[in-house]
Amino acid sequence: MTSVTVSNKEITSKQLGIMLLALIGLGIAGGIAISNLMAEGHAAYNSSNLGLFWGFPIVIYDYFLLTSTGLAMIASMALIFGGEDFRPIVRRALWLALAGLIGGVAVLMMELGHPLRALWAIPFSFAFSSPLYWKVMAVSFYVISLLILQARMMKADWRMQDLRINAMITLALALGVTAIAGVVYGSQSFRPFWASGDIPVAFIFESLLGGLAFIIFFTYLAYAFNAAAVPDSVKRLFNDRLSGLLALAIFIHLLFVLARMSSGLYGNAEGLQVWQTLATSPLFFAEIFIGLLLPLVLLMYPGTRIRPWAQILASLLVMNALLISRYEYIIGGQLVPLFKGSWAPELLSYAPSPTEWLLLLVAIFLSNAVNAFGEVTLGLGREG
Amino acid sequence: MAKWGMVIDLDTCTGCQACTTACAMENNRLPSENWQDVLFYHEGTYPNVKLMWFPRPCMHCENPSCVSVCPTKATYKDPDGGFVLMDYNKCIGCKYCQVACPYGVRFYVDEKAVVQPDIRGVFPSEAGRQWDPPYKGPQDDPSRGIGIQPHGVVSKCTFCYHKVSKAPKGVADLDEDIPELKEYVPACVRVCAPKARFFGDLDQPNSNVNKMIADKRGVRLKDETGNKPQVYYLSGGATASVPSLRSMSDSDKG
Repeated sequence: MTSVTVSNKEITSKQLGIMLLALIGLGIAGGIAISNLMAEGHAAYNSSNLGLFWGFPIVIYDYFLLTSTGLAMIASMALIFGGEDFRPIVRRALWLALAGLIGGVAVLMMELGHPLRALWAIPFSFAFSSPLYWKVMAVSFYVISLLILQARMMKADWRMQDLRINAMITLALALGVTAIAGVVYGSQSFRPFWASGDIPVAFIFESLLGGLAFIIFFTYLAYAFNAAAVPDSVKRLFNDRLSGLLALAIFIHLLFVLARMSSGLYGNAEGLQVWQTLATSPLFFAEIFIGLLLPLVLLMYPGTRIRPWAQILASLLVMNALLISRYEYIIGGQLVPLFKGSWAPELLSYAPSPTEWLLLLVAIFLSNAVNAFGEVTLGLGREG
Repeated sequence: MAKWGMVIDLDTCTGCQACTTACAMENNRLPSENWQDVLFYHEGTYPNVKLMWFPRPCMHCENPSCVSVCPTKATYKDPDGGFVLMDYNKCIGCKYCQVACPYGVRFYVDEKAVVQPDIRGVFPSEAGRQWDPPYKGPQDDPSRGIGIQPHGVVSKCTFCYHKVSKAPKGVADLDEDIPELKEYVPACVRVCAPKARFFGDLDQPNSNVNKMIADKRGVRLKDETGNKPQVYYLSGGATASVPSLRSMSDSDKG
C-alpha cells in the first residue's frame, strides 16, 4: 500500500523548479530561434516555392492545437456527464489545454508573414468561404470559453452540475475547432493524400488521444513523477478509467491510420503515391510499433496497466507518435507538388531546419512554463 | 464587363522564354519568382526521348480555389475583368492560397533565394520591400499586387492588370499588331516572338480568342479541379503539349 510521503510544499517547490527549467529552456531556444529569424527571416525555414509551403511550424501548431482541444473535450465531457471520478483532473486538463494552445499559437505567429496583421485582418475580413477564417474564429471563442470555465472553477466549492452549460459550449467549440482543422486539409480535393471526408472525424479521435496522453503524463509531472505523492483518487481514475480510455483511443487512431494507409497504397490518384514512401519509412514504423502498439500492449496487459511507469511511458510514446502522425500527414500531403508533379515524378524532399526544430522546443518549453505557472498559482490538483 | 482570357498555342510556342523575361522586367520580379514560367521536362526513355516545354502563367480562374481559402480576402476576384489579384495590404502570409492553387503559380519569396547571388542583397530596400532594383515600373498598386513586393506576402501574376485595365471599353481582343491597342497588351503576349499568345475578352462571342478556342478545341489545364481557368491551350500535338497527369510509369521517369 502506498501512502503520500511528499508534502504540498515540496510539490510546489518542484513545480517551481519545472517552471524555472522551462523558462530557461524557453529563453535559450526562443532566443536562438528569434535571433535566426531576425538575421535570416523566413529563409531560416526549409519550406520553399517548389511545393512544400507548410513546413514543421504548421505541424507543431496543429499538434498543440489538437491536443488542446482533446484536453478540453475530456474536461468538458466529464463535467457534462457528471463524472465525479474525473474531478481531480478537470481543472488541470483545462489549464493544460490553454498552455498547449499558447505554445502552438506562438510558433504559428513566428511562421506567418504578418502575424500582427492577422489579428485584425482575419476577424474583420468575414471571409466565410475560408476554412482558416472559421478556424481562427472558433479558436478565439474556444479560448474565451476555456477561461470562463476555469474562472468559474476557482471557487473551492464548485459543483459539476453548475458548470454544465459552460462545459457544453466548451465541448461544442473544441469539437468545432478540431473538425474545422480537419476541413482545412480535408477540403483540398485535388490533394488526395489530404482530402477525405473522414479527416475531421479522425482529427477528433486524434485530439482525444492526445488529450488523454497529455493529462496522464502531465498529472504525473505535477507530482514530479513521484507516484507515491499522487492522490488515491487520481490513481483510481487512471487505473480504472483513463488507462482503458487511452487504450481505446490508441486503437481507434490506429484504425484510422491503417485505413488511410491501405486506401493510399491501393489508390492510383495523383498524390497518393506518397504512401509508398511513407509506409516503408522508419519513422512510420516507429509511430506504429513503438508509438502506438507498444503503449496499447502496456495498457491492455493487466499486469502493467496499473503501473505508474507504464502509464507514463505509454503516454509519452503516444505523444511522440501523434507528432509523427501530424508530420506525416501535413508534410506528406505536399510531397507531390500539385502541378509540377505532372512532369517531375520525384517527390519533394524536406527536413526541418535547425530553427524549425528550435520552434518545437519553444512550444514545449512555453507550454510547460505556462502549465507549471498554473500548477503553482492555481492549485490545479485541488479537488474541492 | 469583360472577362479577360489568354490563349496559348502550343504548336507555335518555341519555348524561347521571352515571355518569362518580359514578365520579370515588366513586373520587377525576383529571379526564380517566375509569374510567367516556361517549364521544361522530358517524356519517354532513351533513345525515344522528347524534350517538352510548357508555358504557364496564372490561370486567373473563374472559380479560383485560392480565393475561396484566403482567410483575409487578400486574394480576390476582380469583378471587372475577371482578374485574380492580391492585396498586399491584407495578406498575412499564411500561404493557404499556395497550398490550394493546383497550378503552382503563387510565390512566397521570403525564403532562401533559389538563384545566387541573392539579388535582394545586391539591391537592398529600406522601405520594407523585397528589393530596390535600378529600374522600377511606374505602376505601383499594392492593393492589386502590382509593384515591388513587400516582405511576408504572397505574389502572383496580375495578367498585367496595370495595362489591360486601361484598354478602351468594349475591345474584344488586345493584339499587339493593332497600334492603338499594343500598350494595353500583357507583356508576355506582346513580346511573344512566334505569336503563340493571344489575349481577349472571353465574354465576347466574336473575339478572336473565343474563335480560336472553338476552332482549335482549346483545353484548360487540370480542368478536373473545377477552377475553370481563363487560360486556354491549343494543343495540336506537334512539339509542346498539355502535360498528361502524373501517372507515368517508372520507365518514364528518366
